[in-house]
Amino acid sequence: MNSEEILTLASGIVQSWDWATEISRPNPKQLDVKVNVLQELVPIVVGLRVKRLGYLSAIVCLDGGPETNDMEVLYHFCPGDAIIALRVHVPRDGGTLPSLCEVVPGAEVFERELREMFGIEITGLHTPDRLYLPDDWPAGVYPMRKDFDPKMLSPRP
Amino acid sequence: MATKREPERFTISIGPQHPALKEPGSFQFTVDGEIVTKAYVRLGYAHRGIEKAAEQRNWIQDLYLLERVCGICSHIHATAYCLAVEQLAHVEAPARAQAIRVLVAELERIHSHFLWIGVSAHEAGFETLFMYSWRDRETVMDLLEGLTGNRVNYSANILGGVKCDINNEQTTAILDGISFLEERARHYFDVLTNDAMFLQRTRGIATMSRTQAEVMGAIGPTARASNVARDVRVESPYAAYKQYPVKMALDTRGDLEARFVVRVNELFESFRIIREILATLPETELAARFPRRVPAGEVVMRVEAPRGELYYFIKSNGSDKPERLKVRTPTICNMTSVIKLAVGHQLADVPMILAGIDPCFSCNDRTVQLKDAGNQASTMLMWEELRLHGIQYYQGLNK
Repeated sequence: MNSEEILTLASGIVQSWDWATEISRPNPKQLDVKVNVLQELVPIVVGLRVKRLGYLSAIVCLDGGPETNDMEVLYHFCPGDAIIALRVHVPRDGGTLPSLCEVVPGAEVFERELREMFGIEITGLHTPDRLYLPDDWPAGVYPMRKDFDPKMLSPRP
Repeated sequence: MATKREPERFTISIGPQHPALKEPGSFQFTVDGEIVTKAYVRLGYAHRGIEKAAEQRNWIQDLYLLERVCGICSHIHATAYCLAVEQLAHVEAPARAQAIRVLVAELERIHSHFLWIGVSAHEAGFETLFMYSWRDRETVMDLLEGLTGNRVNYSANILGGVKCDINNEQTTAILDGISFLEERARHYFDVLTNDAMFLQRTRGIATMSRTQAEVMGAIGPTARASNVARDVRVESPYAAYKQYPVKMALDTRGDLEARFVVRVNELFESFRIIREILATLPETELAARFPRRVPAGEVVMRVEAPRGELYYFIKSNGSDKPERLKVRTPTICNMTSVIKLAVGHQLADVPMILAGIDPCFSCNDRTVQLKDAGNQASTMLMWEELRLHGIQYYQGLNK
């Protein structure tokens, strides 16, 4: 399949049923899918996997900063030459996302990273422990957020 | 009436100063006798906050920062970053620069694969092969130094092109060097596929089926050894790979031996590409002018590092600094496969399974603690002793 065929197939999947998705094509090889209802995220990924488009390259979180109370999470699926980006918005305070690890086992490391670096709660993680941050890192301090300041860390005793 | 006795379980923790080079990780293997029943990983001991640091530096400073993400595949990080930022800024590097990027990337792949052959041979107790392959690796290190001036962080890239050109003397040196390396690679191929002792450690060990590799998201040579045709150079050619197409090395067997075969076959492919580039190097400028500020936008760039797909995501807000920069290195994807594959294998095979994905290795001291749940006694095994245990275990089977 070339990238055009992959993206046509993927647009079909993400627009099936009554899913509240919006699609756009920022460049010829990329399909951006705005997922407006969180519950639809996992079924969409199942759909992509069934059609063998479910190779997840990475999950990226973009923090909008403290003034917006908004974070955007990007799931980049990269089958062949194409890029399918699922975009989800979550609030900065108490944002929760469903885990993909039942469908895409490799997603777990990225989700654990989201959890500790950005403070997004992930439901259904197999191992919700810390992955990168040290054991004595203070709770509620998320280093990849825009308003992180090293002063938030209490000085070492 | 006999009471059913719970099998005794030991948890062996390897690390944090453990084999995964770039990311010294802590592994915990629960074993039942010699068999691993559960594996757990904890990373971050070398987390330097590079993504955060990149947000606070300008586009040019980031190039030097990101080249230092990894010491072995430094060039490919800089290439991915440059290609991504060039795409954002709508600048295209000249043809000669793109060809030199590919040339250095392939030399780097040769250096990385030779290094890996040595490391895995060492883990298997085949010290002679380790010594020879690392001696030969010096050849390619010298070529890279001759070309760029550096042995490790080559710094060949700049935004908009490359810094170093190739003259006739360098061309001759590279051609001579790779002829020697090709001959050596042939010899290693012979050893790796025919040496009975070595095959005992690789054939049929850590077999990953095609479906498993796809589900676990394995990438790079690890995936290609399980017949998953996933190579960014072929799927989505970047830099000059359109002009110099790559033939993907695949194997159907999926075990450790297949990972050796795939990597050595990739070496031959790299030699071929380098010869082709040197014969047909386009005559253009080395770099295009690059603006100080980069227009707002988002870009995903994928390149094939020696260990697999390297992924960069960059978001620009139109200023002289990136808004967000995400790096996903190949090891993190293949780590899932190690965790799953180790289960059901002999403890003695664990070093080889880990080495099989070519994790980034940092050879600090490594400890294995054998805890006896029954009498609370514990024995500490250094990594060296675990390695010897693996070698002795297999020698015992020979008798």
